[in-house]
Amino acid sequence: MSCWGPRWSADSCRSPHHEYIALLYLLLLKGTCTAFAGLASLPVIHDTLVTQHGVLTEQQLNQAVVITRSSPGPVGLYIVSVGYFVAGIPGAIAGWLAMVTPAVMIIPLVHFSGRHINHLRVRSVLQVVVIASAGLLLAASIPLAREALTDPVTIAIAFVSLIILLTTGLDTLWIILASAAISLSASSVGLIARLG
Amino acid sequence: MTDLSHSAATRTERPSLTEIADVFARYGNFTLGGGSATSAVIHGQIVTRRHWVNDQQFTLCFALGRLTPGTNVLAFCTGIGWVLRGLPGALVALLAASIPCTVIVIAVTALFREWQGNAIAQAAIHGAVAAAVAITAKTSWTIAGPVYRSGARLRVVLIGAAAFGLYVVLGVPAIYVLLGAALVGGFLPVPPP
Repeated sequence: MSCWGPRWSADSCRSPHHEYIALLYLLLLKGTCTAFAGLASLPVIHDTLVTQHGVLTEQQLNQAVVITRSSPGPVGLYIVSVGYFVAGIPGAIAGWLAMVTPAVMIIPLVHFSGRHINHLRVRSVLQVVVIASAGLLLAASIPLAREALTDPVTIAIAFVSLIILLTTGLDTLWIILASAAISLSASSVGLIARLG
Repeated sequence: MTDLSHSAATRTERPSLTEIADVFARYGNFTLGGGSATSAVIHGQIVTRRHWVNDQQFTLCFALGRLTPGTNVLAFCTGIGWVLRGLPGALVALLAASIPCTVIVIAVTALFREWQGNAIAQAAIHGAVAAAVAITAKTSWTIAGPVYRSGARLRVVLIGAAAFGLYVVLGVPAIYVLLGAALVGGFLPVPPP
């Protein structure tokens, strides 16, 4: 189990304290509450847990995306994976709580629907936030790429995957499985070592 | 208050909390393809087959789910649950739609951690992670695509590029970029419908 930053990891990786799990929950919640789609919270999570606190690696963040895209359920579940990587089962529970908490906000929206939700100014604010989220997500893929694309084979996998994603409706699960198979095959014949 | 509240569901068939839990656990967790695919499957169950809600109620919850922060499909399930049985229905739908898939993800994440020392698994994960970079980049288009339409294209490009530049070039934390975007959105000209 990884440890919670410098304050936690000095001597040993003990079980996480409640206050650290609560803090992790709040940090993850900051990400989920400021995003309007599953992966849109990734830049905030990256900033908070990778850059500022150093409790999550780029590789783990990438793996969290892989895990979520190859499992059933919503994409936002990557937060659960992130929580697990940071603090094991308690961290995963914090991730689950951070994922489900914003969903409750729909109740007042449904209750008062039709009053403000179609207000043009409200729609403008939401739209600008959504567009900014898209720009941030693209930016967040840069450090992830730097960490993951380390040889010609992985660069080719990412490039071809992007083309397929943009031009076809193929489910991401098949792209992930094919990428894993190609990487495994390339590795087994020593292609990565020769090209790298 | 709108007539789309849970009282309106009396016009259709009002399910028990157990039935809500059953449907959302089965169809909210085990559909591959993300939130849109899940919503489509749930539509087939609660509108077409069981007549729990009508199309108008379904569409409202779907649209408001998109406008709720966090994971859209969970907000959508919560909204449907609230329409069906009020607060207990909302909580049951939310829990049923999120706990089973969370358990699956925890198990898979634990396996990933176990496989850290396995060379074969690492080779496969290496390729899968490369695909994840493409998925992350493509998701930005998935988010911006619906608003990138005639009359709003320059707006989308400028706002997206500004957010990208602030984050990458100036190093502004993502949360401040988003808060700034909300502020700017309040003053920008209203986009065409």
